[in-house]
Amino acid sequence: MNYRDTLEKIIAHGWTNFKRNSYLSIGTTGVMTLVLLLFAGLMSLNFLSTKIVESLQDKVDISVYFKTDSTEEEVMLIKKDLENNSLVKSVAYISKDKALEDFKKLHAGDPLIQESLAELSENPLQPALNIKAVDPMKFGDIVTFLEGNKFRSFIDKINYYENEAVISRVQSITNGVRNWGLIISLLLALVAIMVTFNTIRLTIYNQKNEIEIMRLVGGSNWHIRAPYLVEGSLYGILAVAVTLIIFYPVVFLISPKLGVLIPGVSLVGYFFSNAIQFILLLLVIGILLGVASSAIAIRRFLKI
Amino acid sequence: MIKLKHISTIYEDDFMALKDINLEIKHGEFVSLVGPSGAGKSTLLKILTRELLANDGEAIIDGVNLAELDSDDIPFLRRKIGTVYQDFKLLSAKNAFENVAFAMEVCGASDEDINKDVPKLLSIVGLSDKANNFPHQMSGGEKQRLAIARALIHRPKMILADEPTGNLDMVNTYDIVKLLLKINELGTTIILATHNREVVNTIGKRVISMEMGKIVRDQIVQGKYII
Repeated sequence: MNYRDTLEKIIAHGWTNFKRNSYLSIGTTGVMTLVLLLFAGLMSLNFLSTKIVESLQDKVDISVYFKTDSTEEEVMLIKKDLENNSLVKSVAYISKDKALEDFKKLHAGDPLIQESLAELSENPLQPALNIKAVDPMKFGDIVTFLEGNKFRSFIDKINYYENEAVISRVQSITNGVRNWGLIISLLLALVAIMVTFNTIRLTIYNQKNEIEIMRLVGGSNWHIRAPYLVEGSLYGILAVAVTLIIFYPVVFLISPKLGVLIPGVSLVGYFFSNAIQFILLLLVIGILLGVASSAIAIRRFLKI
Repeated sequence: MIKLKHISTIYEDDFMALKDINLEIKHGEFVSLVGPSGAGKSTLLKILTRELLANDGEAIIDGVNLAELDSDDIPFLRRKIGTVYQDFKLLSAKNAFENVAFAMEVCGASDEDINKDVPKLLSIVGLSDKANNFPHQMSGGEKQRLAIARALIHRPKMILADEPTGNLDMVNTYDIVKLLLKINELGTTIILATHNREVVNTIGKRVISMEMGKIVRDQIVQGKYII
């Protein structure tokens, strides 16, 4: 018998087992579907929390104010230095005139301030650089870098010291979301794996006698095991199919509502643009869980 | 063909199931292994199928010391042996045809051979019309005949039957015994463990009596069940 025949036979046996134990198969597939839905849900939550963290971090920056008499060239020297620093994500230059314009716009409704400004003969505002960091944790290092800069004398003040508390608070929140999110995801994933494993173990325990008989009749371990592994992967594949049928419509329904809560975030966009990777990932998880659980569960009955 | 030298077996609860068993069975013999429940008959058969490993002594089949077989070799030993049990040990999820076919598949037989041999053997044991029935749809006698068909399909050198008639009525019991005798006539060694006196006395061949894990009597010809 060649390998192709053997393979076809094994798959056929696995499929026959699956059909003949239909209640058990449907139950096991159902449990696996729940597990995969949980995984998909965790991935959505992960995506959303990353987006929230990103938007929070995007709001954090520090400003460097220069002495009023410093020239644009001098500011540009520092800007260039900063841009060459790998810790810095972006640097925006705000000239004296731009700062004044912004200030006027901001207080457009306040006649007192408008009048006071009109009375000034020259622009009292300072040119500034707005710095965003690749990692907000590293703002301190960027400030140290500036403090040690050879053009330090042009700088009047750095508002990091005023904002330090706010920045570290945002950092601790985002870190908390990340770490706890990861821990909770891992715990739930672990529970999901154990539930699947136990369900499959019970399914196979149900066939304990059969497996032992096969051994007594002279079946080799692989001959006995292979159809069960096929059965395990069938649970996985079917569960993925059912999961996708449930998950995508749900995403489609709730995505617009989430878009209102967190502007600029599209769950549909995320899951549709990554559809192939997502489906492959589910298939890998499903098949691996099914096959590995079956293999582990069957092991102890093959000892006879 | 079978040689047992000083075999002793102790179960986990310290119960000594076999005590210093010495035995030789030649090819083509029909041996009835008799004795009350708990005498060690089933344990002795389990030693031969390597379901159990003796704690002491040597068990040799066809020159192979069973203690030296590793897990991957055990299936090859079992393919030389056909086993029949009191509780039939049929695969409940497979129908009659598939139950017999399974024993051929594990030996790597082709579909062609399976489709040729299985119906032939089912007709020998009188189950041609039950090929598609599952075990739960068959009577006790039919299940036992199916188990015998499965034990025979790969043309084993010996058949071990552990109380094969224990669950059967008189008529079915004699059917099975006749079947075993016929198989023996064709050259297959048969070891029949039973506590059914009438069956043993009807057969009238070698009888080995066991009690409390020991062989107490070995009648080579015209053996009887004597307590």
